[in-house]
Amino acid sequence: MSTPAAVVWQKNPDLAWREIDDETVIISPHDSVMHELNDTGSFLWKSIDGKKSAAELAELLVENYQVAPDIALSDAQALLEEMSSRKLVVTVSATGGVSP
Amino acid sequence: MSTPLVNSGRGPRQQFELSIGRVTFGLQMSDRKLFGAASARYRAFTDAARPPIKIALNHGALPAAAADFAYEFEGAALRVFRSEIRFDGVRNQYALDSLLRVLLSWKLLGRRGFLLHAATVVRDGKAYIFTGRSGAGKSTVASLSPEGSVLTDEISLLRREHGMWRAYGTPFWGEFRAGGLNISAPVAGVFRLVQAAENRVTPLRPLAILRSLLPNVLFFSAEAEANRRLLEILSQAATEIAGYNLAFRNNPTFWEVLPS
Repeated sequence: MSTPAAVVWQKNPDLAWREIDDETVIISPHDSVMHELNDTGSFLWKSIDGKKSAAELAELLVENYQVAPDIALSDAQALLEEMSSRKLVVTVSATGGVSP
Repeated sequence: MSTPLVNSGRGPRQQFELSIGRVTFGLQMSDRKLFGAASARYRAFTDAARPPIKIALNHGALPAAAADFAYEFEGAALRVFRSEIRFDGVRNQYALDSLLRVLLSWKLLGRRGFLLHAATVVRDGKAYIFTGRSGAGKSTVASLSPEGSVLTDEISLLRREHGMWRAYGTPFWGEFRAGGLNISAPVAGVFRLVQAAENRVTPLRPLAILRSLLPNVLFFSAEAEANRRLLEILSQAATEIAGYNLAFRNNPTFWEVLPS
């Protein structure tokens, strides 16, 4: 997936989610599917606020997990792609439009 | 049970009141046959102590306003309006029973409770909740438990009250037989059933308890806010209630390995 620099990420507003045992459980009400995010996924999920790009989220991974910037960016993009394929997150363009 | 006649302008309607998990309903209907069947089926659950939530069955034209919550099941429909609750297209007690489960699951959301595919057995004053999908052994566990202690063998009701979780009996049984015990007890634990050659109980972390609860919860709303509320309640239950995997042999000896 290629994401323009101006694109930021936000949580799918239709979802229900909770943190438990340091992991995040997400429920999709439309199909009752349960998703689980591990420690890193939970950290990224909590950081997704509709304002940050993949690069900005990767910077947070660098600060909190002491990983190299290129690895952090690669990990962040992979996680965002995975979440996007499950419809857990959507991208928001610089003009405010939402796309799945 | 109270059965006052209600003059509806559409012929006499009868009402009976029932209380399931301290949620009270007043069912109003003019169908005498259905009334008789429902009265018999729910006879253990008719001690409504507080003003009931009134439900009108098969009552004709619907209010003009949009429903706050709606659910359809095999031609029967539940609609919750601001002013009233309607069950329509109810032709037999099976449809009535299904709509009652749907409505109860929705009403429990505001009372920090939920319905769970599980058998509940009370032993020494505590409720043991045995959960699992069809075939997991809920009815087996119930049949291997002392007479008179089984609150339900199919659908359990859990509520958080005064800081603790209680399990209530329900009239919802696996083989649709009238019965059930209309009593409650504090929850001793939730046990995820696995049939095995040896009895063995293994504690679960809250996340694993939540995993075992979620697929077995009865819930029918696709609305995001309702699901957020449900997940909040289940997460609290998973954190506060002890949970275990229970591998069990097909005989009563599994009780010997359960924590007291």
